[in-house]
Amino acid sequence: MALSKNRLRKYREKAKMTQEALAEKARVTRQTIISIEGGKYVPSLELALRFSSIFRCKVEDLFAI
Amino acid sequence: MKEKTKTMLKYLFGLGMLLLGLIFEGLGIGSPSFETFGSVGMWLIYIGLVSLLLATVRLVLKPKKRIIDERMEFVAAKAMRTTFVLFIMAAFAIMIIDGIQPIQVPMHLFMSYLVCFLLVAYFASYKLLLRRY
Repeated sequence: MALSKNRLRKYREKAKMTQEALAEKARVTRQTIISIEGGKYVPSLELALRFSSIFRCKVEDLFAI
Repeated sequence: MKEKTKTMLKYLFGLGMLLLGLIFEGLGIGSPSFETFGSVGMWLIYIGLVSLLLATVRLVLKPKKRIIDERMEFVAAKAMRTTFVLFIMAAFAIMIIDGIQPIQVPMHLFMSYLVCFLLVAYFASYKLLLRRY
């Protein structure tokens, strides 16, 4: 299933974070961040919630189907 | 599973193999010529010693903990499924080949090849799927 909205990169760049830093905060690998941003991999609810807590926004602001 | 439990299980496996090997060797159970190991007992002793050595090396060196995230787990599950499909296909091919010309390979060697095939199939599919996802 592909996501129709994926604003992870936008939020990351807005927060002036590198992929490495985000990966470390979300406790995943940098490759996973690359895959999610590239739309290759759809994150689980847990990871999406982790991202939303890192960027202090709603999950639906980051992702949508 | 906790790291301590894992280490204990590794040591138990090694000791179990060593004990089983000694029993087999002492009672003279199994083939007297088991490839390069001499006998089945010797082979089990070898497995036990290698397991104990590996467990000790890991305990002493404590390798750097790698991050295993959900994407890797997802890819691993996919690779497992791919390996299963490959195994079924290989079994089908072996049945046909055996029907045409009976396979003369001894059972233990055949099983070793099978395990190696499964490991290679899993590793290759894991690496390929990791690029896709």
